[in-house]
Amino acid sequence: MKTFFQALSLFVFSLLFLVFANYRLPEWLPADIYLRLDPLLGLSAVLAGREFIGRALWSLILIGATLVIGRFFCAYVCPMGAAIDFLDPLFWRRKDRSGLKNNLNWRKVKYYFFILFLSSSIAGLTLAYLLDPLPFLTRFFTFFLYPMVITLIDLFLDLFRPIFRFLGWMDLSYQHYTQPVYYMALLTFVIFSAVIALNRIVPRFWCRYLCPLGAFLSLMSPLGLFKRQVSPECNECLKCVRTCPMGAIEQDPKSTRLPECIQCRTCAKVCPQEAIAFPALPSSIRVHQLGGEYSSIDFSRRGFLYSFTGGLAAAFLVDRTPFTPTLGKQQIIRPPGALPESEFLRTCIRCGECMKSCVTNTLQPSFWESGLSGLWTPGMDLRFAACEQSCNVCGKVCPTQAIRSLSLEEKTHAKVGTAILHKERCLVWAQDKLCLICDEICPYNAIVFRTVDGYRRPVVIASKCNGCGFCEQRCPVGGISAIVVVPDGEIRLKEGSYIKEAQRLQLEFKPDAGDDKFILESSGFKVEGKEAPERTANPASPQQKPPMRKPAGFM
Amino acid sequence: MDGMDLKGFGISRREFLKTAGAGLALGIIGKPGLLMAKDDHDLVVINGDPAAATRKALEAMGGISRFVKKGQRVVLKPNMSFNNPPDRATTTHPLVVATVAEVCLEAGAQRVAVLDYPLRKGELCLERSGIRDACKSIKGVHVAALEERKFFREIKVPQGKIFDRVEVMSEVLECDVLINLPQAKSHSATGVSLGIKGLMGLIWDRWSFHSKYDIDQALADLATVLKPQLTILDATRALVSGGPGGPGEVVKPNLIIAGIDPVAVDSYAVGIAPWYGQNFKGRQVKHLLMANQRGLGKVDLDQMKILKEKA
Repeated sequence: MKTFFQALSLFVFSLLFLVFANYRLPEWLPADIYLRLDPLLGLSAVLAGREFIGRALWSLILIGATLVIGRFFCAYVCPMGAAIDFLDPLFWRRKDRSGLKNNLNWRKVKYYFFILFLSSSIAGLTLAYLLDPLPFLTRFFTFFLYPMVITLIDLFLDLFRPIFRFLGWMDLSYQHYTQPVYYMALLTFVIFSAVIALNRIVPRFWCRYLCPLGAFLSLMSPLGLFKRQVSPECNECLKCVRTCPMGAIEQDPKSTRLPECIQCRTCAKVCPQEAIAFPALPSSIRVHQLGGEYSSIDFSRRGFLYSFTGGLAAAFLVDRTPFTPTLGKQQIIRPPGALPESEFLRTCIRCGECMKSCVTNTLQPSFWESGLSGLWTPGMDLRFAACEQSCNVCGKVCPTQAIRSLSLEEKTHAKVGTAILHKERCLVWAQDKLCLICDEICPYNAIVFRTVDGYRRPVVIASKCNGCGFCEQRCPVGGISAIVVVPDGEIRLKEGSYIKEAQRLQLEFKPDAGDDKFILESSGFKVEGKEAPERTANPASPQQKPPMRKPAGFM
Repeated sequence: MDGMDLKGFGISRREFLKTAGAGLALGIIGKPGLLMAKDDHDLVVINGDPAAATRKALEAMGGISRFVKKGQRVVLKPNMSFNNPPDRATTTHPLVVATVAEVCLEAGAQRVAVLDYPLRKGELCLERSGIRDACKSIKGVHVAALEERKFFREIKVPQGKIFDRVEVMSEVLECDVLINLPQAKSHSATGVSLGIKGLMGLIWDRWSFHSKYDIDQALADLATVLKPQLTILDATRALVSGGPGGPGEVVKPNLIIAGIDPVAVDSYAVGIAPWYGQNFKGRQVKHLLMANQRGLGKVDLDQMKILKEKA
């Protein structure tokens, strides 16, 4: 039953992630539901951001269920646990795994992590994402698994394309999925592999020793209804001791280390005497009669102090590197709707859902670019891809609303930056070439040609530019684009309407016809009849006005 | 054994009845002018709604059966380059595409592929242009944006002046009939983007047209190897400035212009609206004049026989 639920849960998680988290995502479908259910993420984001987060309320469901049932999530729901359990037999099936010598001390580590993450959140630094299993797995899915799946699907399609054609299955024969690519794919993969590799030491190493969410849930579980109970039929064969994936049964098979028990019932299944049951016991009073122990929760006062002050210190230190003062001058273009930078860094849980869903793949994880506290946060790589103006999925899938979920109209007004034209790199300004790609591609006609010293030159109208980056992406200049979007003028609101803010700032992002006509007329294009002389302007003598010209392509 | 008699003629009874019925119907309601169009006219220009005008234009061209035979594979090349709705006039009207596809299938085409290599993300273009939706219910029509090099194949350009090889969509090289369904648009580099300019959506490396070559001459080169059997130009809406991607000024000439001669269709379309606020003739568009000089078609209206009708 456990395997069935695990497989189902991993399937639902993968389905929501791989199939539904994209620009078509309907409003009503919470593709980020697993992340919303996670109370550790919710709590640390609320503490760090000092802001109420509506979506975090979903975690009350898991909290409630854990209070009633116990720590069942790890065995039946957690997709990370499922991934570990399913991958384990592939690599380590026959290995003899003795476990760690200081088992008991190691078990405390996860509680220390939990306390550390909470205390750093209190001090304003989000760290839970490092080890919380849900963003951990989502990241692996985004940066590694998803691109890999697309590669494999395309390979498969390529392989069978001739057959599809032969059978007349034309839609399949034309099918191809654009390959997504991400920075930090390798790093994410290495970290995930390391977690799987730790299973070599002992099964579910991660869950036993490291997982802070597991620690949190186990702290909530004492009141849970279901507890392991061993009847007198037990012949002390110790099979359960050997097979318990959590190592929750120690020397005495009749007693249970209850905070570690995830109710997977593996012990009940292997017991030759059928002596093990998980009856619903309404009261925790009888726990001691069952031989279980909650009395000694696995962390010491000293450990608590160390991890608590450790979290505060980490937050203090991260806040006092040279990265912090430069945050106001940061280079990263955040996705439209991102909270103001410091709130954003505190609230973002680095799950990567936004980057997975992004239709153009412009959202990329950052490394140190926004400081130590900005690891894996999304930024737009506009030279690589622009922000599609008819898509608003990044906010829709953000579980902590570090990127606010906006309507398309609102999103259009959530200006992410302003394009700056570098004249010395621009083919028109520097080399007097006939290039107008940025003007042509701009969805808001924010780039226009003006007559400067008798020459037609592109300029940016900042109040019409919302930073979508099409110009930067398409600029034909090699290497660094001659037109680059910088965060200047970005609108980052904690709350309220971007449309109103844009109006207040007298910005207008409208697909207007623009003033092409005016430009052509003002530059003196000859109306039909007369032959236009070929272009002979000599840029070396700017005093001499260039000859009249018609629109490109006409004679 | 009764049925055998008809089968001996290679047609089924149903087909016979259909054909006879259609013949009768045409004889009764069809205008003589329409039946003779095939010999008489270089161009047909129909005023009306996208679907009705397209259907009428095809009739006026002498019926689709003149171009598409039973069992043939047809490629339609609309402009699906942008993810804008039809009223922005950056893409071919979905009803024009769907109508032509339907008519081809009615004529017995084995299958109809609606293909383009869009400038924006293909998925979005197919969706937002409305073309995929319009064709969804028609069985035998496949709408696709081909954005990978593996869908293209290199061919020689024997009459090329500035390039002698070009990579073309394989499907186009393998099909029996290519019908070009361009949208009437202005274009910042070539003045207008009509049928011949639209052919750039069938090649892989269009970037070099902009960066390496003289784009007008390159277009004329391309027109020597990519020769659609029929061009049906959608000028129900025309983007007269801000092309090819818009946003720009949209006017509504409400015209469908069809013809076999690609230069003639384009040249006529140049005259239907002022571009960037100015009136031009086909001869004033560099790539059209070059194509004309290469013997690819007529550029002057006074040399064309044009049938104008209302749908």
